[in-house]
Amino acid sequence: MSFVVAKGLTRNYDLSEPLIVRALTMRPKRILTAVDNVNFSIEKGTTYALVGESGSGKSTIAKMAVGLLKPSAGTLIMDGKNLNDPALARNEQLALRRRIQMVFQSPYASLNPRWRVGDIIAEPIKAFGLIDGTKAQFMRVSELLEQVGLASSDANKYPHEFSGGQRQRISIARALSSQPEVIVCDEPTSALDVSVQAQVLNLLKALQKEYALTYLFITHDLAVVSTMANKIGVLNKGKLVEEQSPTGLFSRPQQDYTKMLLNSAPSINFG
Amino acid sequence: MSENLLQIKNISVTFKTRHGVLKAIDDLSLNVKKGEILGLVGESGAGKSMTGAAVLGLIDPPGRLSSGQIWYKGQRIDQAPETIRGHEISMIFQDPLVSLNPLRRIGDQLVETILTHMPITKAEAVDRARKGLEEVGIDPERINAYPHTFSGGMRQRVVIALALAPEPALIIADEPTTALDVSVQAQILDLLKQLCRERGTSIILVTHDMGVIAETTDRVGVLYAGRLAEIGETRDVLTNPKHPYTKGLVASTPRIDASSFDKTLYQISGSMPKLDAMPNGCAFHPRCEFALDKCRIDRPSIIADRAACWLLDGEETLL
Amino acid sequence: MMNRFLDSDFFHDFLRAPVALISFCVVLILVLSAVFAQFIAPTNPFDPASLELMNGFTPPLEANMFTGEIFLLGTDDQGRDLFSAILYGLRISLFVGLMAVTLAMVLGVMLGLIAGYVGGWLDNLIMRLADIQMTFPSILIAMLIFGIARGLLPPELRYEMAITVLIISIGLSEWVPFARTVRGSTMVEKEKEYVAAARLIGLNRWQIMIRHILPNVLGPVLVIATITFALAIIAEATLSFLGVGAPPTEPSLGTLIRVGQDYLFSGEWWILLFPAVTLLALALAVNLLGDWLRDTLNPRLK
Repeated sequence: MSFVVAKGLTRNYDLSEPLIVRALTMRPKRILTAVDNVNFSIEKGTTYALVGESGSGKSTIAKMAVGLLKPSAGTLIMDGKNLNDPALARNEQLALRRRIQMVFQSPYASLNPRWRVGDIIAEPIKAFGLIDGTKAQFMRVSELLEQVGLASSDANKYPHEFSGGQRQRISIARALSSQPEVIVCDEPTSALDVSVQAQVLNLLKALQKEYALTYLFITHDLAVVSTMANKIGVLNKGKLVEEQSPTGLFSRPQQDYTKMLLNSAPSINFG
Repeated sequence: MSENLLQIKNISVTFKTRHGVLKAIDDLSLNVKKGEILGLVGESGAGKSMTGAAVLGLIDPPGRLSSGQIWYKGQRIDQAPETIRGHEISMIFQDPLVSLNPLRRIGDQLVETILTHMPITKAEAVDRARKGLEEVGIDPERINAYPHTFSGGMRQRVVIALALAPEPALIIADEPTTALDVSVQAQILDLLKQLCRERGTSIILVTHDMGVIAETTDRVGVLYAGRLAEIGETRDVLTNPKHPYTKGLVASTPRIDASSFDKTLYQISGSMPKLDAMPNGCAFHPRCEFALDKCRIDRPSIIADRAACWLLDGEETLL
Repeated sequence: MMNRFLDSDFFHDFLRAPVALISFCVVLILVLSAVFAQFIAPTNPFDPASLELMNGFTPPLEANMFTGEIFLLGTDDQGRDLFSAILYGLRISLFVGLMAVTLAMVLGVMLGLIAGYVGGWLDNLIMRLADIQMTFPSILIAMLIFGIARGLLPPELRYEMAITVLIISIGLSEWVPFARTVRGSTMVEKEKEYVAAARLIGLNRWQIMIRHILPNVLGPVLVIATITFALAIIAEATLSFLGVGAPPTEPSLGTLIRVGQDYLFSGEWWILLFPAVTLLALALAVNLLGDWLRDTLNPRLK
């Protein structure tokens, strides 16, 4: 069995008016299915990219994967364990959650502006009780900062003292501090400039090699995942319409929607 | 095509702060020819939007145009930009809701714009408004709809109709498609391109997206830290970049390419200097792998009408 | 830390805002003279033994016709040195104001955080309560709470507890602006990704609210606290003026004004004037400081 498996993942949103209004106006319930029976599986140490436009449900899947949202139906299985099993005790659930962390889209909103960088990175270590002792925790934070290409002295600074790309590095260091096996990357470079985007993508790839990390990479930009996705799933209006390796997808797209996406992506290649 | 519509001559935009005077744009010159689409590309903070704002006199205090001149159709406009703003030059912003009043029907907004620029009757203006909507691919029957009833892409079409209504000679489009999905982006860019070609309207297209530059513009100016790094025909600049920064930008742009899997992307190390910590000489030298001693001391101006780089100077053409 | 503050834009702006500087100096002088009242004041106006009825109604800087004593700002009906009474009264006003604001702030911030973060029926309950309270003038609420508390207390405790009751009444009547502002900022902050990151590592609601959200919603709270401080001082003076606040044995500024008002038309103007001017200066300075803070801390107004 694959390391991460999404089984019939579904999420509905109830957009209905209040019951009393519906009763008076005789209007039916309005249910929006943001994610509709999505299945995929990711092998350990590989990257699965979910590509879609706004409203495709890609962010909803990311949130369900890390447990920020509950699926309306279906489940996510990691390492043979059902993450949405209602029978799990809170501490068991927490232990599972530790193994699947997230890197967020916004380099600005994802770091608490009032916290020092060192405290931000140390928080998961403390919350999960991974390392005891302030000194040892401090050493670990320094190590993580250096791993993502920052200086250990940066621990004393505040997020606003860093550029967008550096903040994304901090965000990656925070995700790593939980010692996760899976990282959900939710458009981690879409707010960055190209030259910095390449730095962050290369860093993510190097870390994946070093720790055999499994990535679920959410993006609207097919080009961004061309160097790192082992498999790409194309989402349209909550449904997974096509799934292929990048080589296959780029050279022999099967669905019209995929073809349209590929054709409309602005390309820097001439001729 | 060769006639210059707009000439920007050595402009600088400065901000006075208590830490000193910061130069957001530093001695920038460029021309916009009649009927061409000129792209301005660069990272956030490179000064590309500021350049558009300077042309329209839209720089807010404490910033100001501290030196240089802007000429439009042989007339100097940097002293009194109000006279041409709106009439001759239109602006399209990233967020359509900046240009659209959410409380008024799109038709009323179009008609009002037309009437302030043309001596025609209201009925004629309504007629023109309907034609304008049709041109941008919106059903003219929706003339009485409010902006919020349109999707993001449709709203940007309305904005284009509004920008074209006064029949401007120049449109400054600041990241007009950044907020849109790729499929919609392609349509909007095609539309803008086609309409301007038909009318001979020039466009300054400000964007951070190299792909958009490649597919839309005739010429491109690459900005770095408030300075012009390179300028030229888009195809030339992107296929044979002369400035190391442009080279880096092109090389680090990921491509949809079946063969790129598992390759490491080219990356420019470091990041753009902050305005209050500008290096001496060329602003790019701390990140440049080809930097010479000269680059650390003297700031290069545009050499051979192409790039601000000492490597292009005489003997040192190592590129 | 200190250097960082001295180098901040905040401090820089402060030095260049004459109104803020003057207001700050006025507040500082008043606070210091209240804190060190026992060293500055020539007499202790709360000590009945030191009062000499013969000294009553002495005009400022004039010798008393019976005792020949001279008082800087004159005396009141009881022969209290008005200058000392104002200093000690200022002390009560400032203390009541500060404690009342603290109470209102803690209560309002907590309720606002809960309403904003938890949402749902709890949010509805708290905010409707706030709406109801806002339909009444806060001074009325304070009087109501004061009345109920007095009624519940045994008579022998009424004088002793007067100040405490005063603080609670004013505090409970001023929590709404804090709660509303904090609720609004909390609803913005809780959607940010750093809160999602905190949820991912299993922090509970309280940890997220207190450790992550609270530090990010405190900016506007400081502004409201300053303005509410001025309101609380005036509320205290109003209640005391109406005779339901500080007891006459320990007069606050409001009590002094009430006494002075009785004698205004019989020619003893100073008993009213000096406490009133002090109150006005204090409230105005605090208010101007609050306005300046609001303008400076809100980047949208810049």
